[in-house]
Amino acid sequence: MKPSSKRTGISFKKVNHKYMKKALIFMFFLSLIPFFSGKTFSQQTEGTIKYLTTYDWVKMLNACDYLSKERKEKISYMWGNRSEWKIYELLHFTAKKTKFEESEESADPREDDGYSGRKETFFMTCDFENNTMFDAITTLGKVYLIEDSLRKPDWKILNDMKEVAGHVCMNASLTDTLRNQKITAWFALDIPLQVGPDRFFGLPGMILEVNINKGACVITAEKIEMKKLSTEFDLPKKLKGKKISSAEYHAVLKKFYDEKRQAEEFPWGVRY
Amino acid sequence: MKSTRKIISILLFAFSIVSYAQTPQRVTIKGIVKDNDNNEAAFATVMLLGPKDSTLQNFTQSNEHGAFTFNNVKNTSYLLKVSHISFLPLQLAIEPSNTAINDLGAVAIKPIAKELFEVVIREAKAPLTIRGDTIEYDATTFKAPPGSTVEDLLRRLPGIEVDISGNLKSQGKDVKRVYVDGKTFFGDDPTGATKNLDANTVSKVQVFDEKSEQSKLTGVDDGVKEKAMNLELKEEYKKGSFGKVTAAAGANEKGVFRWAGRGNFNRFDKKNQLSIIAYANNINETGVNWEDYSEFKGQSTFDQYDNGDFGFSSGRGRYYSFDDSDSPMNNFDGRGFTNNYGGGVNYNFDNTKTKFNVSYFYKNNNQKYDQFNYKETLYSDSSFFNYDTTNYSDYRQNHTLSTRIEQIFDSNNIIIAKANVRYSSIGASSLNNSIYSVNDIDILNDLFTNNSNGKYSWRLTSAAIYRHKFKVKGRSFAVSAAYNKNPGDDNEDLYSLNRFFINAYEEIIHRMSAKDYDKQQIKSSLLYTEPLSKKFFIELFYNFNTINNKVNRQITDALNNDIRIDSLSVFYTNDVMINRLGGDVRYSYNGLNIMLGVAGQYLQMKGKYSVDKDMPLLTEPINKSYWSLSPKFTFTYEFPNNMWLEFDYGYDVTEPSFEYLQPVPNVSNPLYRTEGNINLKPERTHNIGFDYHYYNPASFTHLGVNSSYNYCANGISYNHNVVMTDSIGIVTVSTPDNNSETHNVNSWMWIGYPIIKTKFTNDWSLGFWYDNSGSYINDVFNESNQYRYYLNTSFSITPVSKLVIALSGRASLIDSRLSINTERNQFIQSYTAGLSLKWQFTKKTFFESNFDYKFYRTSLYDYDENIPILNASIRQLLGKKNNFELRLAAFDIFDKRKYIQQYSSQNYNIRSTAETLARYFMLSFSYNIKGYETKLKKDRHFF
Repeated sequence: MKPSSKRTGISFKKVNHKYMKKALIFMFFLSLIPFFSGKTFSQQTEGTIKYLTTYDWVKMLNACDYLSKERKEKISYMWGNRSEWKIYELLHFTAKKTKFEESEESADPREDDGYSGRKETFFMTCDFENNTMFDAITTLGKVYLIEDSLRKPDWKILNDMKEVAGHVCMNASLTDTLRNQKITAWFALDIPLQVGPDRFFGLPGMILEVNINKGACVITAEKIEMKKLSTEFDLPKKLKGKKISSAEYHAVLKKFYDEKRQAEEFPWGVRY
Repeated sequence: MKSTRKIISILLFAFSIVSYAQTPQRVTIKGIVKDNDNNEAAFATVMLLGPKDSTLQNFTQSNEHGAFTFNNVKNTSYLLKVSHISFLPLQLAIEPSNTAINDLGAVAIKPIAKELFEVVIREAKAPLTIRGDTIEYDATTFKAPPGSTVEDLLRRLPGIEVDISGNLKSQGKDVKRVYVDGKTFFGDDPTGATKNLDANTVSKVQVFDEKSEQSKLTGVDDGVKEKAMNLELKEEYKKGSFGKVTAAAGANEKGVFRWAGRGNFNRFDKKNQLSIIAYANNINETGVNWEDYSEFKGQSTFDQYDNGDFGFSSGRGRYYSFDDSDSPMNNFDGRGFTNNYGGGVNYNFDNTKTKFNVSYFYKNNNQKYDQFNYKETLYSDSSFFNYDTTNYSDYRQNHTLSTRIEQIFDSNNIIIAKANVRYSSIGASSLNNSIYSVNDIDILNDLFTNNSNGKYSWRLTSAAIYRHKFKVKGRSFAVSAAYNKNPGDDNEDLYSLNRFFINAYEEIIHRMSAKDYDKQQIKSSLLYTEPLSKKFFIELFYNFNTINNKVNRQITDALNNDIRIDSLSVFYTNDVMINRLGGDVRYSYNGLNIMLGVAGQYLQMKGKYSVDKDMPLLTEPINKSYWSLSPKFTFTYEFPNNMWLEFDYGYDVTEPSFEYLQPVPNVSNPLYRTEGNINLKPERTHNIGFDYHYYNPASFTHLGVNSSYNYCANGISYNHNVVMTDSIGIVTVSTPDNNSETHNVNSWMWIGYPIIKTKFTNDWSLGFWYDNSGSYINDVFNESNQYRYYLNTSFSITPVSKLVIALSGRASLIDSRLSINTERNQFIQSYTAGLSLKWQFTKKTFFESNFDYKFYRTSLYDYDENIPILNASIRQLLGKKNNFELRLAAFDIFDKRKYIQQYSSQNYNIRSTAETLARYFMLSFSYNIKGYETKLKKDRHFF
């Protein structure tokens, strides 16, 4: 639809503009949550985003190009409406660095069945100031400590807008050839921080939603809490694992994906 | 020539300098973002994208005055993109600049219509897609009631007006044309599509400006733009149907006709699944296979395992009641020949809140076999032998109707209710001739029986479970109730002729047995969980269970005017009531789960026995009650690298069943008589279980151990008294008693690993089973020690994707030791070597074959039999989409298949053999709606 008639346009824009200015002044004086601002305030901008991550294993299998059509159809038929599991994940952020980890809160009511599984060692950190990353990821039953320089994903900017967690976002896409994934990310137009969940960052605004392989995995911001962070960036004191570079880690994954492709099995055992 | 080159190179050099000067390598791009009314737009997101693929190159934000700058960026073509909340994203092509500073001046952005922004983005939370001046959004987020037309839907959409006669306006302008999926629908009348299409078929609505019809015709753009609308239809990817049908016919060389047919059809959409299935054959497929069954049940396949009998969180489900005995799956026991047919219909409704299933299945089986038994019964340093020949045939059918509903009210409240009704009838006749001999040579007597029976029964099982979670994390409550009823009657005609050879003598017995029974069960359970902290929990449960059994078995003498035989007729009522209260403390955190609990149970048993209804009681009524206290401990631990360990201990007290207590003897054969024992005490059993699993996803290796040990201090078993009676022959009277300690070990170990990853894998499994028990045989204690060893190995070889080879070996050894007669201990050996081959030798042609060589050895009886079984088939896919399959198969090419079973139990060794379906050839033709896969299945997937 064409933009509204001129009259509506004007009045709307004015209201919007006034609102923004008012909000700015208000926030400036309260100096509490000045995240509407640009570079001036971004250094004081810090907090935690709570993401709800929904995995759908039937969609994960469906996105796997080497599995037979017959098998995918059968799995979709038998499990298609019951294949989701949900977790909460947290992104602690400042303008300079982020840490992404799993929340202790369970998101799936079915999980409270009296059994507690082991939490895998997992966190991902980005340091934008020094352009470095340090991740600890349990992969194939082994903890890898991945230390390297940060490499920005090759985002393509798309043309859709929607609201996520109260923020108007635009979308961008990414193709991960290693994992065979098509990724759509939604970044906030009013939070100019290049942070994001999981291995995603480097967009002009905070990434509030990521959709991998048409819903096989959806990471959606549920709550953005601006607060002073204290111990959130601390790393576990005991951290055992194999130190490895990003390229070496990708080689480990590549070998495994190739073997699973050969065996015609889904690559369970690595982070999606 | 040389000079010319020089000149050219100099010229080129000079030219390059000039061009360098004209287009600098780095550039600063700046501008000011303004809106329609020339107001500065602060804090807009400004991006530099690659012009071809929109790859993000650089980004910044406009300052409070709308100004933005990209300093020192590569001087090349860009797409400048400006995004701002509530504005249409703007794209601007930028060419390489001739100057070091490329000032774009004012960059104007247009606002998104307020109604669209507020209603679509803020309220409907739907994405807006912007393509130049076209805005589209997901129309499915604006729900129209079922049966609505597109017109009704459009009325709900922001920015669109629909007048009384159905004319459309967008942003105040008339919509001249309506397209459906980009194509004209019903000519030029825009209302043609909107009035006729169902709203639920539309996924997206697009409104855009289009050149006028006039300019389209003339090709000259007259500048007039007209509004047009496109309706994009939903991709119905989740809707469809599938199914297949097979017809097969064949014979063996003796001309016995073999046939089979089966088919299934499923229709489904996102929420509904409807399926029908049917089969009929005379090739011993008594039901459907797992693949067809799971397709038939669809999403409800794994729904039958709800358990409302709450207990210890990992208890062994002592009160589990939903057995699966009427499953429509193939359960042929290996003996004889069968005719089978059956079919069913299943419906599932499945959305996030409600899961509903209703299913009906009819099954009809007719089995006939001739079985030969060779049995040696041992007692006090002596034994006797039986040679039995049985001719058996039965006809059984059942109708099963089952339903289940699961309703999730919210994440804290859930109800599950289910019911299953079955009607079954069985008619069977059995002719049996049993020769008795004390030394395996001379015949003592010969018992001939001719029994036939007809059984009819109804069964209802029903249960409901409600679970509630409180706001406090970890606090929950659940309640369940169940009602089961099972009435039926059995009528038997029992004829026997016993001939004696020592003193030539004959005895004929002909009795009629009429039994009707009614079993009813009501039970209920409660469970409450309270968190003590983040890691500690308390669980409390209560079980109530009452079972009422009423049986009337009247036995009459057919040779004596059908007069009732009082000594064998019985009318009894048995009532059991169980109250069980238990609790445990559980620690659960990060892979470590420990539970310690105890349950107290009070069990009351009441039984009354008389010859018939309204007759005086035969004995004092049984009135027993048992009080018991059982502890329970479980420990599970998950190691960091895909390794799991589990250990559990439990103590169970099991009351003697009424079958053991019953004071009236059970005599179905004149030479065997089973009596009851009212003085039995409950069995007290300690169980220990151990479980270990390891999986290495990187090396494709897995390993597991599963072990359990039971110890019972006073196990109930039958004592046998074998008496040589001149007038009747060898009579065995069996009476149960709390005889001895029993020990039982059951242990499995398995390992699988690749020799060459994805090409060559090897699996091993090793089993050990030990059972120790004892009973008195003619007042001499007989200790039975049974040792069983199993070893399986297989090699799976996939050199290329068109060839799958499997080699396997199996060994099963049974070492049976009975203390009463150690010379008659038998050692049963059976070994199988197997080879299977699947070969896709053209794109659509497959060869499949498997060969098993089985060896049976029992030295005690000089039994030695080798059975080679070879099957082979070739199948061809036909049709463009491979919808058809033609298959020629040869089963048991060596014509050797046979039923063989050997074991030892209590005080006897037995071997049973029976003929069954051996060699035949079959041609089958199949049609599959979706088409067959043109790839070999690797057969490693459970579903």
